[in-house]
Amino acid sequence: MLARFFRYSLTSVLIFSGGASQSGAQSLPVAPGYGELNYTLPEAGSYQLPPLGTAADGEVLDTSGHTQRLHQQFGSQYVLLAFIYSTCSDVNGCPLTAHVFYKIKSEMKRDKILARRLKLISLSFDPLVDTPEMLQLYGNNFRYAGNAGEWQFLTTSSEKTLDPILRAYNQQVQRELKDDGSNSAGYSHVLRIFLIDPDKRIRNIYSADFLHHDLLLADVRTLLKQEDQTDTWNRSGSQPLQVSRLSNPGDDKRGYEQTSYRTRSLALELRQGKEADLIRFGTEPPLGLPAIPTPLDNPLSREKIALGRKLFYDRRLSLNDTFSCAMCHIPDQGFTSNELATAVGIEGRSVRRNTPTIYNSAYATLLFHDGREDSLEQQAWGPLLASNEMGNPSIGYVLNKIRQIQEYQGLFEAAFDGKDASMMTLGMALASYQRTLVSGSSAFDRWYYGNDPNALSPGAQRGFRVFAGKGGCVACHTIEKRYALFTDNRLHNTGMGYRSSMGIHPEKEKIIIAPGVFIEVDRAVIDQVGEKPPADVGRYEVTQSPHDRWKYKTPSLRNIVLTAPYMHDGSLGSLKEVIDFYDAGGVPNDLLDPRIRPLNLSEQEKVDLVLFMGSLTGSNVDTLVADAFAAPVGDIGKGDPTWVSGTDVEVK
Amino acid sequence: MALSRSGRCLILSSWLCLGSHSIWAVEAMSGNFALTDQDGQRFQLDQLKGKVVLLFFGYTFCPDICPTELTNLSRVLDTLDGESVQGVFVTVDPDRDTPEVLKDYTDYFNRRLIGLTGSPAQIDRVTQKYRVKFRKLPVPGGSYSMNHPSNLYLIDRTGKLSTIVPYGLPPEHVVDVVRHLLAENL
Repeated sequence: MLARFFRYSLTSVLIFSGGASQSGAQSLPVAPGYGELNYTLPEAGSYQLPPLGTAADGEVLDTSGHTQRLHQQFGSQYVLLAFIYSTCSDVNGCPLTAHVFYKIKSEMKRDKILARRLKLISLSFDPLVDTPEMLQLYGNNFRYAGNAGEWQFLTTSSEKTLDPILRAYNQQVQRELKDDGSNSAGYSHVLRIFLIDPDKRIRNIYSADFLHHDLLLADVRTLLKQEDQTDTWNRSGSQPLQVSRLSNPGDDKRGYEQTSYRTRSLALELRQGKEADLIRFGTEPPLGLPAIPTPLDNPLSREKIALGRKLFYDRRLSLNDTFSCAMCHIPDQGFTSNELATAVGIEGRSVRRNTPTIYNSAYATLLFHDGREDSLEQQAWGPLLASNEMGNPSIGYVLNKIRQIQEYQGLFEAAFDGKDASMMTLGMALASYQRTLVSGSSAFDRWYYGNDPNALSPGAQRGFRVFAGKGGCVACHTIEKRYALFTDNRLHNTGMGYRSSMGIHPEKEKIIIAPGVFIEVDRAVIDQVGEKPPADVGRYEVTQSPHDRWKYKTPSLRNIVLTAPYMHDGSLGSLKEVIDFYDAGGVPNDLLDPRIRPLNLSEQEKVDLVLFMGSLTGSNVDTLVADAFAAPVGDIGKGDPTWVSGTDVEVK
Repeated sequence: MALSRSGRCLILSSWLCLGSHSIWAVEAMSGNFALTDQDGQRFQLDQLKGKVVLLFFGYTFCPDICPTELTNLSRVLDTLDGESVQGVFVTVDPDRDTPEVLKDYTDYFNRRLIGLTGSPAQIDRVTQKYRVKFRKLPVPGGSYSMNHPSNLYLIDRTGKLSTIVPYGLPPEHVVDVVRHLLAENL
């Protein structure tokens, strides 16, 4: 007998064997949470914890017996939520939670931020035994353990209020009955601890094998670290967006990763538009912008603008009558595609580069990212004929089709002095509409050119000073005395294209698996399954001059918060990433523009820069978008030259 | 302080359990009980009034938790040597844990530990009082083990249950709580 006891006492915590053979009982290995981790944790903040769903609410009782909402108990803190029952006999179950929570509670004595921001909650799933009184006896432990941090014990009034909570957290609890079926003698359950953020989103779920205080603390600290960043950027990034009410995706998927998400998708036919007198924007330039340059042979007229507008939204301008200009240059997405890094053309064909916005394209002296066209009139034919954009086989094919569509009868003639639809007039009409999408009179313009000292927030003013000073951004995104195009209409090598051509990629890449849900995927895995990025040498493709490799056009910064994602390949999703890219000095290569160099911007300066860019959204954006909504959407119908099926054809 | 707290608990527990079929429904936790100690003597919890009691339920054939817990408990008792503190071990396996077996056991871990046993009915009454659920689990070979929770019950000097310490908290924590309880009820 004594020998048995002696063996036990050799190890005071980890006891794996001993009297098992004598007593006949099986002893169990003890969970890692009781000891030291035998592996090194990644540094807090060096990894991501994507939201895994919403942490459900429910009705609970506190230790005073008061009814409370679970969410109310979460407050605005980070929460570690454990489901326990006090009479649990599995050492690797509820007592493990107590052990790990105790360790975290001890850490709270040392870490004041942790004590303030994190809350521990043990919620019982045994309302019959775990009355508030019982849980108070538990909680009494920690009256003496210092008052840093909070460890709260909650229960429910009955199984009826408990069950929806268990279901919502996917906690399957089976009541074990005694042999006579009378009284529950215990529960079998799978231990799960939930890490919940202040937005009530579940950020991690721990099972017994992973429940270790070091791991949990690293996760909480990771969220705290990243919160600082997200907060700053959210605050600075979301505010300017409010300048436009209409510039939001028709199917707004923000918050999609939360169970509280309800669709906000808008039916196209319910979307009310309002026609605007567009010619006014072309003839009376807004504050901060010069008169729009118009070719001598294509002065603006209401007829041309209306015709161009009709063509712009006409799906019949594509080979298979499905794809209009507006399907990449989406009006409510900044006249670009906010949801695509690189464009997707007819029948899902990939396009190499990011859709440029049409806002203020009137001022562009070079068009396309590589500047291969120099007038809107000519540019229009690029997408019309590209096999992966609108897919038309020839110029004649487009023109013949339009000439035969009833709705267009007489329109070209009226707009162009009797001239029929031709390569020239079609380009002129489309150019005329696009030229009117001028957008200025932004907060910045009212401050800088309108001399209104209150028009620009202090943060944006600081941002302007970085923009024009330390950041040197203004060297290419130019500002003139009377107006600012925020582009020099030239091409530069920032290293962005070089990096892609040379296959320089981070080891891991963030991949969206559902709106708002990201995972990090190893480069090797992406290379295995992903399509190779298309070759892109930028301006070189136009000039064939080796010096022009990886040069791309400077985009204007007007309406920049509306036109994400950024860069010629849309590879940067946010302005913060763009600023970080330039702050790092781009990507060094032999042809790097000498103006691109490391900037050593502080976090505050970066935030201020974003605030400044947020102030560049034009005052007429919603007018232009509403006008687009009011435009007719051309769709194939009976009588059209390409109408081949429908009710006329009987299918057997 | 202690009185008013436990008084409040009692009212709450009877109010909350109305309508439930729990066998714990109306009875407050803790309170006096009588069993037999390792020397075969009748023992009443009330005998220990004036001391802080560390009460633990287990069984001597327990392969893992009880020895761990008792080693920890023993460490707590050694640390608090000379204080008004008493460790009590109540078996949930009275069939095998006779006073003789208990004496062997408690002598080994800590001579100042009281080991208690009784008839199965007596043990049931005590465990119900403390809401300790246990179950006999047969193991191959005809023997059995006992499934039981491993909480430590701290009873203050007036005989009231003050705190339940879940398994897994370190002995230093228990020492800390006991010292506070000693200071509270002088």
